[in-house]
Amino acid sequence: MEVQQGGAPAPAAELVVSLREFTLSDADAEAFMSWASDPRVVRFQRRDAYEHVDQARRYIADHVLPHPWYRAICAGAGAPLPVVGSISVKPGPAEDGRLFRASVGYRVAHAHWGRGVATRAVRAAAEAVFAAWPWLLRLEAVADVENPASQRVLEKAGFVREGVLRKYILLKGRPRDMVMFSIVVDADTDRRRQQNKPDGP
Amino acid sequence: MEATATPRTQEEVKAGTAKVTVGEVTLRKFELSDVDAMMAWASDPEVAAFCRWEPYESTKPLLAFLRDTVLPHPWFRAICVSGAVVGAVSVSPTSERCRRELGYVLARAHWGKGVATAVVRRALRDVFADLEPEGLRRVEALVDVGNLASQRLAEKAGFRREGVLRRHYWHKGRARDMVMYSFLSDDPLPE
Repeated sequence: MEVQQGGAPAPAAELVVSLREFTLSDADAEAFMSWASDPRVVRFQRRDAYEHVDQARRYIADHVLPHPWYRAICAGAGAPLPVVGSISVKPGPAEDGRLFRASVGYRVAHAHWGRGVATRAVRAAAEAVFAAWPWLLRLEAVADVENPASQRVLEKAGFVREGVLRKYILLKGRPRDMVMFSIVVDADTDRRRQQNKPDGP
Repeated sequence: MEATATPRTQEEVKAGTAKVTVGEVTLRKFELSDVDAMMAWASDPEVAAFCRWEPYESTKPLLAFLRDTVLPHPWFRAICVSGAVVGAVSVSPTSERCRRELGYVLARAHWGKGVATAVVRRALRDVFADLEPEGLRRVEALVDVGNLASQRLAEKAGFRREGVLRRHYWHKGRARDMVMYSFLSDDPLPE
């Protein structure tokens, strides 16, 4: 799906961010390597840095394409917009066979940090999955306590900070404290309860 | 702990200053023959209220649960008071090797006597001894925001309250807000 900033023609400096599905192309695999091979980006991911583009190619084929919701983040200038990151939303875990929650994760190439790319991508992904999955009541995300940039992205994207969960997730074999964030559908009003949003859809 | 019968007034219990003594509280593995004792709490709607299951109406499905879920479970214990089975405590795996989730259920006749607090403290000690070598660092408890008794219990047992996870837990047809508590392998056990 394509989400663009604003309705009027964008000024030259305006950042355009859009999401699309990945393909099996060499270009997508190479773009994937721009963040998957970077220790600065994988520092807060479970996976170690990739060393060869074949790893990215295999990951796209085996994991990304069959995934319930995985998108390339496109941003910058030019047509087509270059792929600068990825964002995925994983449904579940289910309880009693019931799906009602999902979790979002994202990665952006280091060269594109600090310009609002991740914030726009997370906002767009949240809008998309709440629209596509009527069963979705809770969208959550975690950020390492030592990753304040990611915490800020989630807050700016409208997630509510719920607390610090100690030794919650294993990152490269070490248990890490994680900050938990969420956007939920209000039980009473069926409206989304998130922060920095006016009362309305 | 030796069994001592100590009379106590309602006021003392409410003030929380009463020295509550209980019969000897022990934990052991379940056996199929425990099914009849389990019916005492498994059939009780007041006990089932904050649990995921509906009250059992016969022992047949309870026996199936015992056989298929309890016996093969990595950490599921019968709570015994003076040798009689009065409840269950479990620490269940999650998607992460470093954390497991605590659950407990106690027959109503044994509420308000300090049994659950003693059980949770014992379970924490035992489960970290058993599973820390396998990477367990965190035992968490998710308590419904409306279940004040269990929240007080978690706090008395030394759990740290981390926050409210909204619509995090499916319970009897609704997604509920839950309070997240945790106890880490290096947290001090209160005593």
